[in-house]
Amino acid sequence: MVTVVSAVALVGLEASRVVVEATHSQGLPGTRIVGLPDTAVREAAERIRSAARRSGLGWPEDRVTLNLAPAALRKSGAGFDLPMALAVLGATGKVPREALVDLWAVGELGLDGTVRPVPGILPMAAAARDAGARLLLVASAAAVEASLVEGLEVVPVDSLAEAAAVLQGEQAARDVVATPAVVTSGAPDLADVRGQTVARRAVEVAAAGGHHLLLSGPPGCGKSMLAERMAGVLPPLSMDEALEVAAIHSVAGVRAPDAPLSLVPPFRSPHHTTSAPGLVGGGSGVGRPGELSLAHRGILFLDELLEMPRWVLDALRQPLESGHVRIVRTQAAVAFPADVLLVAATNPCPCGNLGSTSQACRCAPDRVERYRSRLSGPLSDRIDLQVELRPVDPDRLVGPGDGEPTAAVAARVAAARAVAAERWGPGTLNRSVPPAAVRATCHAGAVRALASAVEQLALSARSFDRALRVARTIADLAGDATVSTDHVDEAVAYRLATRLAAT
Amino acid sequence: MTATDGRWRSVAAPGTDPDLLAAVVRRLRDVGPATLAREARDHAASAGGDPPATVLRRVVPPVLPTGERDDEVAGTWAGLGVRVALVGDPGFPARLAVGWPGTGGPPLLAVRGSLAPHDGPAVAIVGARRATSYGTGVAAWLAESAAAAGAVVVSGGAVGIDAAAHGAAADHGTVVVLGCGHDVAYPRPHTVAGGLFERVLAGGGALVSEHLPGAAPVAGHVRARNRIVAGLADVVVVVEGGPRSGALVTAGYAADAGVPVLAVPGDVRRPGSAAPHLLLREGAEPCTSPDDLLAALSLAAPVGPDGAAPAVSTTLPPAVHRVLAGAWPRPLRLDALAEQAEVPAARLLALVTRARVAGEVAEGADGIRLTRAPR
Repeated sequence: MVTVVSAVALVGLEASRVVVEATHSQGLPGTRIVGLPDTAVREAAERIRSAARRSGLGWPEDRVTLNLAPAALRKSGAGFDLPMALAVLGATGKVPREALVDLWAVGELGLDGTVRPVPGILPMAAAARDAGARLLLVASAAAVEASLVEGLEVVPVDSLAEAAAVLQGEQAARDVVATPAVVTSGAPDLADVRGQTVARRAVEVAAAGGHHLLLSGPPGCGKSMLAERMAGVLPPLSMDEALEVAAIHSVAGVRAPDAPLSLVPPFRSPHHTTSAPGLVGGGSGVGRPGELSLAHRGILFLDELLEMPRWVLDALRQPLESGHVRIVRTQAAVAFPADVLLVAATNPCPCGNLGSTSQACRCAPDRVERYRSRLSGPLSDRIDLQVELRPVDPDRLVGPGDGEPTAAVAARVAAARAVAAERWGPGTLNRSVPPAAVRATCHAGAVRALASAVEQLALSARSFDRALRVARTIADLAGDATVSTDHVDEAVAYRLATRLAAT
Repeated sequence: MTATDGRWRSVAAPGTDPDLLAAVVRRLRDVGPATLAREARDHAASAGGDPPATVLRRVVPPVLPTGERDDEVAGTWAGLGVRVALVGDPGFPARLAVGWPGTGGPPLLAVRGSLAPHDGPAVAIVGARRATSYGTGVAAWLAESAAAAGAVVVSGGAVGIDAAAHGAAADHGTVVVLGCGHDVAYPRPHTVAGGLFERVLAGGGALVSEHLPGAAPVAGHVRARNRIVAGLADVVVVVEGGPRSGALVTAGYAADAGVPVLAVPGDVRRPGSAAPHLLLREGAEPCTSPDDLLAALSLAAPVGPDGAAPAVSTTLPPAVHRVLAGAWPRPLRLDALAEQAEVPAARLLALVTRARVAGEVAEGADGIRLTRAPR
């Protein structure tokens, strides 16, 4: 007699159904798991046997065979414990077989029968719903996350005994208490930032169009302050976007499974010693999402950008362009979305004091040149907004903040994004629109002005289309349907700010 | 019988003997410029009264035939279009050939571009690489005014003050004295396509070097080239420099040769003002406007608006132009400019781009300034 329970295998963000079959037959006592299990899955034999016995559900005294199908797919992780235990209980008749029809289960078992959550519940639950699951059994701690998926009945269980009782009909399934989504970010207010009118404008344009931003200036001039406040300027995520973000965080294990869904765009600020795999994703086995993917649909803030090794910086180039990271390993190729707004901050020179009015720069001119050249041309070209900051006059630091509050800026940003979404389709930012489409919305004179500026100021050819996209955002902020020369000229200015002129 | 092939003949400047040139190059490669200069000086001291060309002919052993590596040197020069003149030859600046006690002028000068016959007035504008925008602004102002009045601007090829002077006067043809071989890309930003050196050559100027191809810009070479900068000028102006700046070396060579030295006063609290203030204390004339410089050169200011920004800008609104003119030649941060001219940041950024394209403002690390002196 064979009983069947459904489980989920996760490769990257891709969840697929795994059928767990259990049978027991005459032979020496023992448990055998087949179907390409990894070590964690093979070790499950000890956990599920102990869990079943300690829960008073008994374990067959003969030979138990568990098969995980499809056999060609590598199964990893402890999430198969619960479905395997339930399949065996079905085979021994401790759980009625009709209760196992279209039953999905995900969870790790303790030796005493406790059910524990595993990472990646959200994409697993979505896959179960799409495959027509009737019921999904998960650990109580993971139920909130699983119930974010609509159209699926989620049953939280604390132990194997409770799972068996629910399936036997002896105990009613508990309801999942839904928590409302978090909508307000804890980001500090822009009103705290004094002066820096140019940088504030750049922050607004960056947020409205999703353009990457580089803030350069001596220590203490407010680079990090502005970057941290940018998170509050971005409009909240849509429900679908929030689920997408939560799924990535769930797979990476950085999200508490009982945390409510957050509509706040993620803000990630990895340290400058982060390795290339840590930043773009990777690691052993199938590979985990990196900081770039964890910041998907939000902000990736890289402080001290030029302190990062060159090869780490260059690894950012392709994902910034395409909006996703593809990691190929011998076992599998996985793609993680990585549609981020990059905000980078850097000192103007190695000692940090170049351009400072109070501290003298101690760097040799050649050294400054080498330091800046670390921001390779191709990466620098992709950062559309570059601004130089200087410390604010100490006199202005006294008294109340004089800056515009976050709410006012966020309102303009939301309006500009709405205009762009109406033109290009929902969720599409000016950052990722094809150049030809942007050009079609530009005044002919504006394109000519840009061409002459690119030639006169010796900008790269790539910067032409990128400046046009920024100009589109500036026009959206102004509420203009057509991009004019004024918008183009402002866009070009952001490319020049950090370039030290020769004369 | 001559040892040299056509390559040496094409590299030698008009009036320079290709055979002797090949021999000098071999000697320079064998013993280095310092030894050659000492030999020439010793010989001049004993013989007395010989012109430098004769001295050179005496101390350099003839080389027959030239070797492969000698020809490689000639090939590199020929490839860059460099013509080489020996001291005392018609193509060699006469004022450099005189030399001065203790130093010894260069035995040869490799010239790329056209080195105008140096009988006209020339001014050396020198200063720190790590210049402030105030310094580069003043250097550009002085260089442009001097060039417009008919003087040739001479300077090193470094970033900072040197580059500002060349950049402002490039269209009139300036002379860049390199501290390395012609084929060495230093400083890199100036050697790229469209860089400063290309602009100088396109403007009818010249790059000159006393070094063989491949010579690196080591500190000794760069300091030594300052004697050529000073030697080519009628007046030396020091704009900015630290207490141990190479600009002081240039001023020292100039003082030894009886060339007047002017110094531009700077911000008393900036370390970059040390060199000009030291010179002022030692008796250098202060240079506070192009008029001071032109007076030292005995030149009259040109009539007409050349060299000064018009009172009204074609791209900037009056309010912005007025604030920039008030700060000139100091630069203004965009934040400060937006505040003082009461223009929103977005509009100001658009205006600045337009003014940059029109060449009316220059942007540096400390902000933007008008490229020309306001009237």
